[in-house]
Amino acid sequence: SSHEHKTNFKKSKEACLSYIQDAMLQKQWKRAAEFLTYYVESLEKDFSRERLNPSEIIWRIGSEILCHHSASSMKEFNSFIEQMKTLAVKRYLKVCLEHAFHLLCNGLIDEAYQNLSLAESWRFGEQTLLQDKEMKLIQAYRGLLDYCSWSKQKNILLHSQDGFDNLPVEQEMHSYFRKAALSLKEIIRIPGVWDPFVKCYVDLLEFYGDHNEARQVLNEYAYNSKFPANPNAHVYLYQFLKRHGESKKSLISVLKILHDIVPSHELMIDFNTMLQKSKKRKNQRLALEVIFAALDYAGWKENVKAWSCLARQIKQIVISEKHLDWIKQEWDTRKDWWPAFHFSRYLAKRNWQENESLSYEKALVAGILLGKDCKYFKYLSHQGCKAQLKKFRILKKFVNKHNPAYLRISG
Amino acid sequence: MDFPGALMPAYFGAGPPREGVGPAPAAGWGEHGQVLEVLPRRRQANTSFMPRRGRKGENWAPADTAAVPLLPPNAGCWIPLLTPQDIIHHGILHKKLWQGKSGATLDFTKQLSHFFVDHPEDAFGTLGQLLHQNFYLGNSKLRKQARESTIRMTALMEEIDRLDARRGCLRQHLVPRLRWFSHLCRDWLFEVPLNLLADSVHEELLLQWANLFFDDSPTGGALAWLPPEDVGARMGRLVYPGGQALNHLYFQDVVLEDLPYAQGSPVQFELNGRIRQVAAACADGEDFVGIRSDYHCGVWRVPGRMRAAPTPLQVIHTNVPASCLTVSPHLPGELSVCTQSGTVYLWNIEAGLQRLRRDPQTMFFRDHSPWRWSDFTAHPRVLSYADRTGLQCLDSRDPERCRFDLFKVGEEASCQQGERVVLPMYLGKANPFHHLVTTQFSVYVLDERLPMVPVLKWEHMMKAPPLFAHLTPGGPGRSHKVLLGTSYTQELLLLQYQGGSQSACQLVGPPQKLHSIASCLQHLPTQLPHHHRLLQQRLGAPAAGLAAVLHEDQMQESLLVFQLSEAGDVFCQRLTHEVTQPPQHPVPVSGDKAAAAPGSSPLPAAILRYRRWLKALSSCCREHPQPPTFSQKRLFTCKELKEPAEPSALHQRARQQLRQAMQEGGCIQRWDILTAQTPPVPQPLESAEDPDALSARLTAAWSGDWGQWWEERSSFNMVQRQRALRERRRRQKRAQGRRSLSASFTSSLTYQSELSELSDAGPSLPLSPATLPQEPGSPPPSPVPHEALLSSQSLQCRGIPKERRKMLRDYLSVCVEGYPNLLEPSSSQPSIPLSQSQTCISLSQSHHPVPSSQSQPSITVSQSQTSSLQSRRKRPRMGF
Repeated sequence: SSHEHKTNFKKSKEACLSYIQDAMLQKQWKRAAEFLTYYVESLEKDFSRERLNPSEIIWRIGSEILCHHSASSMKEFNSFIEQMKTLAVKRYLKVCLEHAFHLLCNGLIDEAYQNLSLAESWRFGEQTLLQDKEMKLIQAYRGLLDYCSWSKQKNILLHSQDGFDNLPVEQEMHSYFRKAALSLKEIIRIPGVWDPFVKCYVDLLEFYGDHNEARQVLNEYAYNSKFPANPNAHVYLYQFLKRHGESKKSLISVLKILHDIVPSHELMIDFNTMLQKSKKRKNQRLALEVIFAALDYAGWKENVKAWSCLARQIKQIVISEKHLDWIKQEWDTRKDWWPAFHFSRYLAKRNWQENESLSYEKALVAGILLGKDCKYFKYLSHQGCKAQLKKFRILKKFVNKHNPAYLRISG
Repeated sequence: MDFPGALMPAYFGAGPPREGVGPAPAAGWGEHGQVLEVLPRRRQANTSFMPRRGRKGENWAPADTAAVPLLPPNAGCWIPLLTPQDIIHHGILHKKLWQGKSGATLDFTKQLSHFFVDHPEDAFGTLGQLLHQNFYLGNSKLRKQARESTIRMTALMEEIDRLDARRGCLRQHLVPRLRWFSHLCRDWLFEVPLNLLADSVHEELLLQWANLFFDDSPTGGALAWLPPEDVGARMGRLVYPGGQALNHLYFQDVVLEDLPYAQGSPVQFELNGRIRQVAAACADGEDFVGIRSDYHCGVWRVPGRMRAAPTPLQVIHTNVPASCLTVSPHLPGELSVCTQSGTVYLWNIEAGLQRLRRDPQTMFFRDHSPWRWSDFTAHPRVLSYADRTGLQCLDSRDPERCRFDLFKVGEEASCQQGERVVLPMYLGKANPFHHLVTTQFSVYVLDERLPMVPVLKWEHMMKAPPLFAHLTPGGPGRSHKVLLGTSYTQELLLLQYQGGSQSACQLVGPPQKLHSIASCLQHLPTQLPHHHRLLQQRLGAPAAGLAAVLHEDQMQESLLVFQLSEAGDVFCQRLTHEVTQPPQHPVPVSGDKAAAAPGSSPLPAAILRYRRWLKALSSCCREHPQPPTFSQKRLFTCKELKEPAEPSALHQRARQQLRQAMQEGGCIQRWDILTAQTPPVPQPLESAEDPDALSARLTAAWSGDWGQWWEERSSFNMVQRQRALRERRRRQKRAQGRRSLSASFTSSLTYQSELSELSDAGPSLPLSPATLPQEPGSPPPSPVPHEALLSSQSLQCRGIPKERRKMLRDYLSVCVEGYPNLLEPSSSQPSIPLSQSQTCISLSQSHHPVPSSQSQPSITVSQSQTSSLQSRRKRPRMGF
């Protein structure tokens, strides 16, 4: 009966698909390719109107096999994808985009550019939301490639001896600029993560001196609440402001916001140094907070720079004997877990073995925060003195001398 | 730890997940996702791009053809898992009722009756004790005084038995006595009010049914590997559950080699419940192992140096089942515990429990699942908290206010509709800020510093949601290996990813499927079919845990993957890292792997392992009692089972033939031909005394007419016999005038016994006599002149008393009606009607059609015979 035939047909199709899947997951690309040809043949006889479009399956599996198959070449891949573009009309833009990605990853930038500009001119019925998004991405990537060409021309011009003689190159460069700027500007308005596009667009604007626009773009990218909380957005803004010699105050305010969303960002060291240099008491207080917060994170555990920042600031405070309460406030929320997290005997041993300068900075902090009897400090001062390291001897003296500070912090 | 300077482009939208097509069959293939420009090292260098997915990864090839047992099979009889058949109703009636309707019916009554039978004390304890004097279970009649206060239950029990036997019978009527009894005592007999009990049983049944589709209790897995303190050591420790109910915790030293092996006997702890999860982490040079069972969580400390005994530290008891236990990689002796219905605790060995959150509602939208999870993050005081709808991070110092959303099933991560979080895992060893989240469709990598936007997403295409995951971190420049495992389908998938600090995250290399435990079945020695099935069941048990360790031996890097099944067996497999020399011409590095192709045989060492494992399995299975067999005593009474005083002639002959066949070395099948040729037919020579039922049955079986005999015993021909009896009764009534008293008495007696025999026929077994083999060489049934047999002379000469002759004639005539060709001339005595199998087929044909393909050839025969006999049917009666 026809129903039975249909279900059998469906079953065998599914079985074939699972064989392909199995072969691919075991890296048997040749076997998978053979099964795929059967699968494609079976589809020629398939008149069922299923929701799931088999053309997408073939496109995905086919391109995966061609990426790994030992006998495949770029030419074959291209011809396969061209067929797929006509077969999977609804996914045309996606296929084009992926094709361009494949070309880009194989260094075929010109071909990718052609592909993207061809896809840009494609029109088919009413665009769905998904297709609209894909189209915007295609334009953005094309813009990115325009930017690459622009950048190349720019380098030629900058490195050529005779400044402004090369008019055609300059004109070409400007046309690249216009094309790139137009499409990049378009996509970075939509909420998303657009790091490469934003960077390129800002670079273009900066070159042509449109600093206001650049600043506005970066501000929008960092502070628009519709965008995800991307730390890079703040970093780009900070770097832009720094490049243009903005005031310390505005730099600090940018980094302060970055500190609030990502206290573990690597820029926190710069932030700390900047704040320490500041004469304002408020900023110095913040500096201590920033460095303590950064060292809370597991990723910073062995960061010598951060520990030396903390050690330096603690040393300053202890010597001046002013603001010991700042340390006390920071320490109060940490004293129940920092000793086990940073200053255990096991870590003392390991730090000593692996990184002497780290263990020195940490020993100083431990000596002040936990007193001269803490395990970490005791072990390291013992080891350091045994190894006849002068700085450890000085450290021991310093901690012993400032033991009252410890009593005030812990008290 | 740096944050990548530029991330892959991605759209970001808020809102509910988009409508998807569900698990698409090939959704994970053929996509690069996005590309990112790689900054050129030199100024003049060409720009190059890197894809989010599709870059070549490390090449790991399976070293063996299948997983190999690491430890001897888990002793203790393994209780087979619940199957849908156990709780689904599969009566004939229900099949008919539900035909065309989709959806299974759970057999609620069966489960309830199981409860009554298995736990009678809990079900009827009090009233049973109070009333036991008023219920009488004996066979004899009650005396008059006793009758006032005592009910005789025997008849009721019989009714119940009969009811059970007739289950599915279309003519099942409600028995008034049972109805009356249940109405009378429904309200007071039960210890637990019936409604309440029924509700609980029903609830449990639904839960079990849901668990058959997806059981989240083993989430996280119950297998952990504790690496040695010094990296180069070749020995580590495996922590796994075992024992009959997986309630024993084992710490086993394992030596890492090509085929890792256990050294020494394991350290063992007996626990108070089935171990659901084993979590382990190393903090401050010591390993902490957390054990989760349903209502208890415990923590053990394992000192870093080898051979130091693990010490149990603390146990907590929860009122609601715990659904998660994770061990802090930052601080020693710190764990996080989640219970179903949404409470999270930070558990410190010294400080005790700190409740961080308590909310029975799910976070982002409503979901019915009570499953919760929690793990640690890059900040030792911040914990992640997950339910099926997403992940949040809570600061334990101020859990009410300091929290942020890390992942949400929604448009933010471009999820599909119906997608749910299955397993979150902290990937701290690869990158302190990374988290893995698996759903039934996809796998995500999240960065705490960029919440809500996955830095990596891939549709894993696994057949079941991955409940287990394991991370093997790669060093600088190497990829991190993530293993995903499912429970019911035993799938294992190896993914590689890299980046996350200097550059954006990338999924590298194609995903790779590893061997499942069940895959080793084809490499085991051939088994007897039922052993094979048992083995298949055992090896196919759902996976319960996953662990892996990277091992380096003489420049050869290998990844050893351990797998635990719910039967408590631990298997392992090895993958070797194939370092390819940079190719001169662009030849893809990942060619076809012949080693993984099916059909290749395992290494000799592995074969030895398989044999040893099988031997141990069969020996530990033998210790347990055999499955119950049917007791003959219930089928036959003692009297029936008693052997006849001396073997009948038939027996002797049979023995003789058997002996002859043995001497000749021939086969017994030849008998049929023999009987067809030389001795006419091995006639059932009845001994003089009345044959008992067993002998009759054996005799029938001997002469090949067992089907017929069965047919006669069973209810198929009940109608005909009833009709015959009725007919005879009528005639007897008519003839009563000229009958002697004794004759009428005997006849009525026989009628009684006939009736009881009919009612004793018992349940109709699903054995269709039509499928019984037909003797190929049996002589064609010869039409017999019945008149000769039924004449008074012939009866007289057989020594039958005069008053019985008529009855016999009646009876025989009726039998002839039912069995047209039963009377044979050589038959010395018309005892139990015997017939050929053809008739029996024709009868069964008329009562219920059997599959035509089976009985097609015999129908024609039987039909022709019946038609030829039909003309003769009435003659005996007419002659009378």
